[in-house]
Amino acid sequence: MPRDTGFGNAACEKYEVLLEDYLNGELSGADAKSVAEHWQQCAGCRAALQHAAAGLRLLRAAEPSADPGAGFARIVMARIRAAESERASGRANFWQPFVSFGWRFAATATLALGVLVSYNAGLGHRLQPNVATARPTENIDIFAPEPARAPANGDEVLMMVADNSHAKF
Amino acid sequence: MAASATALTLPLQQGEKRADDRELVRLSQNGTEAAFEELVRRHQQRVFALVAGILHRPDDVEDVAQQVFLKAYLGIKRFDQRAAFSTWLYKIAVNECWDYLRKRKVRPLVYEADLSEEQVSRLDGIVSSDRPPESASARTETREILERMLGALPEQDQQLLILKEIEGFSVQELAEILGLNVNTVKVRLFRARGRIMESYRRRLNTSGKGHASSAGSRKE
Repeated sequence: MPRDTGFGNAACEKYEVLLEDYLNGELSGADAKSVAEHWQQCAGCRAALQHAAAGLRLLRAAEPSADPGAGFARIVMARIRAAESERASGRANFWQPFVSFGWRFAATATLALGVLVSYNAGLGHRLQPNVATARPTENIDIFAPEPARAPANGDEVLMMVADNSHAKF
Repeated sequence: MAASATALTLPLQQGEKRADDRELVRLSQNGTEAAFEELVRRHQQRVFALVAGILHRPDDVEDVAQQVFLKAYLGIKRFDQRAAFSTWLYKIAVNECWDYLRKRKVRPLVYEADLSEEQVSRLDGIVSSDRPPESASARTETREILERMLGALPEQDQQLLILKEIEGFSVQELAEILGLNVNTVKVRLFRARGRIMESYRRRLNTSGKGHASSAGSRKE
């Protein structure tokens, strides 16, 4: 059944694919013969085929796009390298705030550690006993009586009195 | 990316056959820059043709074609080689063209304008004599005239005709690239060729020559 295209060159719908193959010389002998018999009898298919063949001649007379030349590949590769380096710097930019924070944190921690060590060293120095005034341990006479010292409170006074009384007897 | 050009050129020079696309893709996936450059050289003309066939904007073709290869390079590690490299690349090209047109908010450049008498005579000579112009400049001018006439057709039909008949893509390739059934491509091509001849006949009548029957009266 011819398809109504509105411009008078309607082909039978079921023959359109075959006519296209026929036009491009892609049908084998028997198929080509069968299609040829059809279009010779069918006015719509004949007109459509003639139009398509003329259209084919027109289109094939046009110049295809030119090869861009040897320089094109080099330009593409240069663009790829530029994109790669941009991507790499983009990745670096992404991590930059984290790296910067890390460095600042490390510097602050180091400073804090230094201050702490210095402070501990200074305090330790102050807490150390005075070596010059301290009695050497090897000269301590453990049998020597403790040096007398003033009683600190009333209880100690009573204790001293009691000790002295006990010593007399 | 490590450029190991020597690793690539050795098999290419020593082997009797050039390394095929699969091997070049494999090397590219491993970071061999020279292998991808060879792929660019092999496919640049077809990508150019495809982009030109869709955009009809000669000034933008090179930029878009470069972008196609850049996208291919960035995505090649994900390409599993189940399809041919060319098919994969052409699909990227088609998508890139549509992206480009969408971003620029433009349609492919087409202008359906009346043709001068000289232009009509030129086309008439081609249709009636079946002798294409020999010089490249005449063929280029014929293309410009045809692209004007194609403005009367739906966009996809224009693309199919240009890519198939002018740029030399096969029906199978077009079906894969555009995601259409092979028979659909054939039917659309067949009808579109008829339509372009109808557009041509209208112009002949407009220009007063009135001998448009030369196209329709030839026996196959």
